[in-house]
Amino acid sequence: MAFLLRNISYSADGRQIVRSSRIRDDLLKIGRDPDCDIRLNDLAVALHHASLEQVSPTRVGVSAEAGLTVDIDGSTTQFGQIDVTIGGTVRVGPFQLRLLPQEMGSEDIAIDIERADTGAAEEKFDSSRFALAAVMPGKRPIAWALVLVVLGLFLVWPIWSFYSQERGKAEYAQAFHADRLWLSGSLSRGHAALANNCRACHVQPFVSVRDESCAACHTQVHDHADLARLQRARPNLGGWDRFQLAVQQTFGLDAGRCVDCHTEHEGPQQIPATPQQFCSDCHSDLDARLADTRLGDASDFEDLHPEFQPSVLIRWDGEQPRVQRVSLAQRPREMSNLKFPHALHLNATGGVAQMARRLSAAYGFGQQLECADCHVPTPDGVRFQPPDMEGDCGMCHSLAFEQIDGTIRTLRHGEPRQVVADIRSFYRAGLRQRPDVLGTPRSRPGDVNQIRLAVQQARARSAVGARADQSVRAVFSRGGACFDCHQVVPAPPGTLAYGIRPVAFPVRYMLHGWFDHRPHQAAQRPGQPRIEGSQACASCHRADASSDSADLLIPNVASCRDCHGGETTGLPVESSCAMCHDYHMDEGVPARLLRQQVRGRRWTTTVIPVQPQQAPRAR
Amino acid sequence: MATRGIERTILDDAARHESFLQYRRYRWLKIAALVSLLLVVAYLMIDVQPRHNGGSWLGYALGTLGALLILWLAMLGIRKRAITRGRWSLKAWTSAHVYLGLALIVIATLHTGFQFGWNVHTLAYGLMMLVILSGAYGISVYAVLPQGLSDSRSEMTGPQMIEAVNNLDKQIQGAAQPLSDADSAIVLESLGEDPFGGGAWRRLSGRYPSCANRAALRAMRSRLGEATGKQAAALEQVVTLLERKAAALQRVRGYVQRRALLEIWLYVHVPLTFVLIAALISHIVSVFFYW
Repeated sequence: MAFLLRNISYSADGRQIVRSSRIRDDLLKIGRDPDCDIRLNDLAVALHHASLEQVSPTRVGVSAEAGLTVDIDGSTTQFGQIDVTIGGTVRVGPFQLRLLPQEMGSEDIAIDIERADTGAAEEKFDSSRFALAAVMPGKRPIAWALVLVVLGLFLVWPIWSFYSQERGKAEYAQAFHADRLWLSGSLSRGHAALANNCRACHVQPFVSVRDESCAACHTQVHDHADLARLQRARPNLGGWDRFQLAVQQTFGLDAGRCVDCHTEHEGPQQIPATPQQFCSDCHSDLDARLADTRLGDASDFEDLHPEFQPSVLIRWDGEQPRVQRVSLAQRPREMSNLKFPHALHLNATGGVAQMARRLSAAYGFGQQLECADCHVPTPDGVRFQPPDMEGDCGMCHSLAFEQIDGTIRTLRHGEPRQVVADIRSFYRAGLRQRPDVLGTPRSRPGDVNQIRLAVQQARARSAVGARADQSVRAVFSRGGACFDCHQVVPAPPGTLAYGIRPVAFPVRYMLHGWFDHRPHQAAQRPGQPRIEGSQACASCHRADASSDSADLLIPNVASCRDCHGGETTGLPVESSCAMCHDYHMDEGVPARLLRQQVRGRRWTTTVIPVQPQQAPRAR
Repeated sequence: MATRGIERTILDDAARHESFLQYRRYRWLKIAALVSLLLVVAYLMIDVQPRHNGGSWLGYALGTLGALLILWLAMLGIRKRAITRGRWSLKAWTSAHVYLGLALIVIATLHTGFQFGWNVHTLAYGLMMLVILSGAYGISVYAVLPQGLSDSRSEMTGPQMIEAVNNLDKQIQGAAQPLSDADSAIVLESLGEDPFGGGAWRRLSGRYPSCANRAALRAMRSRLGEATGKQAAALEQVVTLLERKAAALQRVRGYVQRRALLEIWLYVHVPLTFVLIAALISHIVSVFFYW
């Protein structure tokens, strides 16, 4: 019994080299160790890796050392047997041990030993492995995958969301919709709630935002002017502007839409102030294109602005006050039907000032009357309420005529017939004790003293029965309490039916411009000290120099220009058109000021006629 | 004579190397710089109310210019497959591609009006910037790395470098035969190791923290201190060979790293160009859809 070993190797040029040896033994040791019968020089082989042993005449057992394995005919195992009549292959590390089928009559078992992987790795080497492409996915798969992701997320999904949304539902504006991915910039603060509701404005795909979308919420907005006149008033466009218009129209952007001026998606800002150019484009020479316009040309407040045309109460049609816009240049007179000399009341040294000092404890007057003593601002502080007899005049101009048990009886203001009746009633009661209120060294105008004086005069001239009639006539005549302040309608002959002309004051003179008194409560004209109170009032309204209530004390443009310049100016206040005027002709605060200030209640009353029957007062 | 002079000129022209960056004395650099400057001046001079944005006439003009430029720049991928000479040579085209591509930064940024957000519009802008920056990176590494690329190979070809590693493997195989089973298992790890082992990140960083050769070297060195006699001699030889293999591996990996750094930009530049075009389409459609 012997093993015939054939070591097969190959030279560099591929020639086979065979080294044979014969070992007469039943057991062969296989391993890297030099002591082994079959020495396999490879580190994949253990020093003592396995052993071959003839276990029967026809079978050879193969057993690996503890913890090692061999590969017998393709299956990895620790122990196995090979039929020598058929032969078999044992693989140890990279080596193949081929047991050849035993030849008839021979006792030798032939084993071919050969490295299985000679040079295989080197031949397979591929230079392209140096390139990064060897470990990267292809550029095309990357591109395709990402292209599909982007188109799906940013094109298909938003379009799907547009068509799948139902418009007009409240909860709709709350939830996220994929078309939000298209939001080109934050909406302005006023529209911030629409951020999830693109379809509120973008109603139809590929159709520009229409005014109807704006008007759905903004129901109160006025047009600037008649659309046809607006178009005619537009300045003659240059070639470039016409080209721009043509391009815009080609793309369905019609001129004159709300969004032309009110651009959106410009960030979370407030709508910015309209530049002056926007107005002056048309208004600097409006009469050139609109020959019939009644508006004066205006370009810049400092340079070109028509004189103010306040609404003035110019006359009365019966009981109805007639208000008309008149340029201050025409020096209009105001027909309020009230007699009131401002200068007399504001005089620092006269009787009025003296009375103010005397009544200061009761009414908080100072050394003289101030404007604010009689003029009460509207709740928003923008304008002033019409003066009121009982509250404002009545502090000094008392209508008291009798005191009964400490209660003072007064003539009823605004009710001439009641006045007549009260006086007659007073005298019908017969002779009376002289009232206590008489006897002060200096009487207050319109006070009971005057009435009493008139009564005494009448008593002296005529019989006691006619005393009452005389007193009534006296009250309504020069020197009487009513006559002092009011236009008295004479009584028809033989009657005592005196009348009083109604009184009215415009609360708002500038209907197309905005003036807020609050920022003007303290004034400082260039080069002059800062003034407040009555001084500030009088610096614009020359009440201290007016002795006639028909004087219209509205300041003119020149007065404003002491402080207010144009859009860019060296004067203290830069004043563009939008400071006083609103494009949409709203009667309230111009949008620009509204946005600058806290939104307050709009005070839109224009004229409050004081009716003879009532005197409205809402402090 | 005159004819000869012309020929000589052409010859000189052809003989002198001029990179696509320097093409015709930086003609496209000048054009791109001039265009950018004009657009910046226009942007500053033209008063757009309330603020600059992509929806003004200037914004639309810049956007149209930018979109067309992007499409033209992308055409280089087709154009480069046909190498021609002359005014519209591939070199001229590439030169224009580089400088007009850089000018696109100005054009597109002015188009945005510096308004950015989390939306498809800024996505397109961001992708465009990634494409441009990857291109700029590509040019800069082309300028710097190729020299180091040949240096790192020590005048060897790629297969030669691998052959060197394989030869060392064989020598280690031989030298390690007397080693114990435990030691040989460790050395075998080194022999079985793929020099390229690891993905793109390994290649780009050039760091192979789990390198089996390094582990084997470290283990054999420590074993060397304990061993005596014949074992020690074998171990010493193995350690020397492992050290040489480490150097050979370093050469391969250094080269692979430089190649990776040189080639990675194309994996951004090319696919993202197509993604950019997809985003651009979405951007344009969205603008007109919500007109």
